[in-house]
Amino acid sequence: MPKQGFQPFMESPLHHFKLDAEAQARRADGRIWCNELPHLGYAVLRGDTAEAGFAQLVQQVTGLALPLQAGAVSQGPQGVLMWTSPDEWLLVSHRQRLADWTAQLDGGFAAQQLFAQTVDSSGGLTLAWLGGTEHITVLRHLGVYDFESIPLGHMVSTVLGKATVQVIRLDGDGVFVLFRRSFADYVWRLLRRAAQPYGFAVCQLEARGDHPLFAQLAAPRPSLILA
Amino acid sequence: MLVITCPYCQEAREEEEFSYAGEAYIARPAVPEEADDATWGDYVFHRKNPRGWHWEQWQHVAGCRKVFAVKRHTVTYEIAGSWTLADGKALYLKEQA
Repeated sequence: MPKQGFQPFMESPLHHFKLDAEAQARRADGRIWCNELPHLGYAVLRGDTAEAGFAQLVQQVTGLALPLQAGAVSQGPQGVLMWTSPDEWLLVSHRQRLADWTAQLDGGFAAQQLFAQTVDSSGGLTLAWLGGTEHITVLRHLGVYDFESIPLGHMVSTVLGKATVQVIRLDGDGVFVLFRRSFADYVWRLLRRAAQPYGFAVCQLEARGDHPLFAQLAAPRPSLILA
Repeated sequence: MLVITCPYCQEAREEEEFSYAGEAYIARPAVPEEADDATWGDYVFHRKNPRGWHWEQWQHVAGCRKVFAVKRHTVTYEIAGSWTLADGKALYLKEQA
């Protein structure tokens, strides 16, 4: 007899594109290669860097140095911490690990009486990887930012076809594009349309280490993320 | 299109990323209880709308989401600079003095 009642499960905002079925091994053939990395955990971290103990606590809990420079990304084997504003950072990791971290951070903030907070926004965001020789050209079709000028280990928050996105560059191979779940269908179709002249393909993403976003290399495989 | 430098992101960005947030440094009546209706009317509704240099607020909505001050010429659209609200206020008050 099937189990009754509320049985929640996670579903990618792009599940209707059936990307897993379409995915193929990546080749260096000049095409644009793209795939989604769904179901990651995201938390907004707010605090005052002038307060003693804030940066230390974040480093102690997450193992990531608090990036203080505009647009800087701090990357570790277990997650990334991105500068989004002078008093705001985005923490990304696996959902369970993120939940542990935010609980520890909130506990630390309360114990040290720091004017800081964490807000879980895992349900509101998703991530895609975009690669291939012309991936910058695709972004330039859609946005006004000089995407080729993003240094390694930096992210930029800008608009692609009016939708706010964060473009994260961790290596020369491709970029991670972070966007809202509510805009996921729109952004995905935009990227696919802009990539059409160069050829667009969904790639299998292989995880090296824990997760491609954390381990720097671009080959995420969505099925591994929840493992 | 304006190219505005965000003092927080420390980069020149296109106007598309920003949202206009009105005239900057509108002084609220110092003693609200004693302000008459005319003073409140001016505070709420009357703006300078100058022909020339204008101090205004812009918000970097697609970036750091901070509001900051920009000094812009309303005829030539030239931008003299952009500052955080606190830094800009010092300059603004010096100019007004």
